[in-house]
Amino acid sequence: MIEEKRNNDLRKVVWELYAYIQDNLYLNRPDMQIKGREFNSALLMSLLTGLCEGKELIIGEPGLGKTTSAEYVCALLYRFPLGTIWGSEVSGHPEQTEEKIIGRPDLGKLNKGEEVVVWSHFALLPVKIVDEINRLPETKQSMILDGVDRGNWEYLNAAIINEEYCLFATANYQDRGTNTIVAPLIDRFDVMVESKHPGANLAYFIGGHGSNGVRLRSEELEAEFHSVLSENIPYPVRMKRLDELCDRFGEWLEAQEGIRTLSVADRREIRSSKRSLPFDLDFNAFLRFVVSELSFCHHFGQKRSNEACDAGCHFTGYLCNAVRNCVSNRFPISARNFSQALAWLLGDEEVDLEHLKAVLPFTLAHRTQWKEEVVAQREKEQRSDPLEIYMAKQAVKEMHRRYMEQAGEVKNALAVACRIVEGESMRPVEGDHPIYWEIRRDLGEEVTEV
Amino acid sequence: MKNPFLDFQSVPCRKKEIPLERIVRARKEIMDRLSEGYLRLVEEEVKDLVWLVEHSHVVRTYSAAVSAIQDLQYDQDDIEEFCAELDNANAFPYMISGPAGIYLSALINNAAEEHILLRLSEYERTFHFLGYRLPEGKTLVLQGNLGDFIGAGLCGGRLMVEGTAGNWCGAGMTGGEILVTGYTGQKTGEWMRGGEIHVDGPIGGFGRARFGGKIYQRGKLVVPHESE
Repeated sequence: MIEEKRNNDLRKVVWELYAYIQDNLYLNRPDMQIKGREFNSALLMSLLTGLCEGKELIIGEPGLGKTTSAEYVCALLYRFPLGTIWGSEVSGHPEQTEEKIIGRPDLGKLNKGEEVVVWSHFALLPVKIVDEINRLPETKQSMILDGVDRGNWEYLNAAIINEEYCLFATANYQDRGTNTIVAPLIDRFDVMVESKHPGANLAYFIGGHGSNGVRLRSEELEAEFHSVLSENIPYPVRMKRLDELCDRFGEWLEAQEGIRTLSVADRREIRSSKRSLPFDLDFNAFLRFVVSELSFCHHFGQKRSNEACDAGCHFTGYLCNAVRNCVSNRFPISARNFSQALAWLLGDEEVDLEHLKAVLPFTLAHRTQWKEEVVAQREKEQRSDPLEIYMAKQAVKEMHRRYMEQAGEVKNALAVACRIVEGESMRPVEGDHPIYWEIRRDLGEEVTEV
Repeated sequence: MKNPFLDFQSVPCRKKEIPLERIVRARKEIMDRLSEGYLRLVEEEVKDLVWLVEHSHVVRTYSAAVSAIQDLQYDQDDIEEFCAELDNANAFPYMISGPAGIYLSALINNAAEEHILLRLSEYERTFHFLGYRLPEGKTLVLQGNLGDFIGAGLCGGRLMVEGTAGNWCGAGMTGGEILVTGYTGQKTGEWMRGGEIHVDGPIGGFGRARFGGKIYQRGKLVVPHESE
């Protein structure tokens, strides 16, 4: 009972933060609806990214609030003054170096023969923002792979592992100065969203009084943050001192602006109750259904980006025939993690199909490489999302329709498979969808005939 | 290996079944029970693999057959299929015609349908005792050439034979009607007490011991003869 009350209280704080950012800092229109509630997808996904220690790629035209939305969310969820966040941001440009991103040798100590690493604020802080990540050349993108994936930063012989961290990266649309984000790096992002233009009427208010984030700055505290970050003290001690400063900034925000924010303990509690939310069977079955469509290949055993499947394949109607690459194992992790966070935010007791449906397009958009002919068919269609997100939304709609037509049969097939693995003498359920074929493969059947 | 389907352990399993499979299975169950009843009857009544046609023996076999099929749900199609099983030499370890016919008669007499048609013309085996004790209200049509004791002990039912009947046709019948489109063998109407036998073909001979009933040949009364 007490736990539930506490949980509700924390949820209320997060809702207040969402409303505060939406009303004061990141003015934008709602562009998605979940269980009757309207949300702005960029803001919602950023908030969920912060809550569940995710990684978000924000795309959009220059000046449409990609970086600032991430900064506001980080400042309020993690209690860092904007000035400190600005100081820790990494900007993507061709001349970027490991020394500026991760750390550098302490030159004074080096002169004395000691090898001591001065870690960058980016590596130290739990909130990480990489601005214009696609301006980093492909060769330099691999410098941040490990850090992005595990919060593991290494320089010379020293290393730090962030206990808590979330990452936001922004990317402009392709122009002469941008590079392709390499597949291993883009796959590490949990979600991709677009920061859209808010429309002429809301845009009119942007930059006016109280909408520029000045209220999230405290120069005095920023100086103290800077001092702790620059001290040469062990990482755990430094983090403890940073936490104390964060709490002071939280108190300052509450006193100055009347905004309640989250402490480290609060965030831990939220994550713990989020993790305890169970997935319902439809969630479970539909996610398997989606993964099967995006990884199955009848001809080559699985999708591979260097192998194109035949035109006359029996599975032409499924997404396996429309995509080039195989969906990674990070995809279901992202989908589960973000769906749980969304279910927690909505106060639901189970993570269900609606949560998954809402999250899926954003977890798939950047991970799916569509065949050229499929893109050509779709790119001119009327839409309000960038092509990647639009195509992912359409794909989710298609898969959901297919799932609803045979949900009972899919769950039955999985239940029968469970009995077979437990030793019962039954025949696996046969069907046309890749999920049935994957089940039969898991049961050791050599499935070759169509 | 880890069971990757464990989350679905609580989902009740529906075995996908084609309707035809269900029908075939139900049929097979009935057929198994019919066969089981027949084999039990044979084991009880035919101890030395010899079965003598004695009145008391026939009555006892019929009673045993009726009790063997009690509580059994079946229809005309099942009886016809059982005939096919009896015709198949491999289906039963031993096949003795008398008890088989009595068992079939018990099935016919206790079936829910009032009108039963059995197509027996394709079978190699000759069936005896069909129509035994056919009760009032039942009509049995038999297509094919049949063995002895057809319509024996008929008690009120209507038996139509579209083919021929062997010896002792209508033996001991007490009522009802037997119509035979072909011929009948020797001793037609032996021990007859009532009812009518109509034969369209030749009659091999009449039973000498008769206590009533009438026998017609091509519509003409031949027994009792006007002189009797």
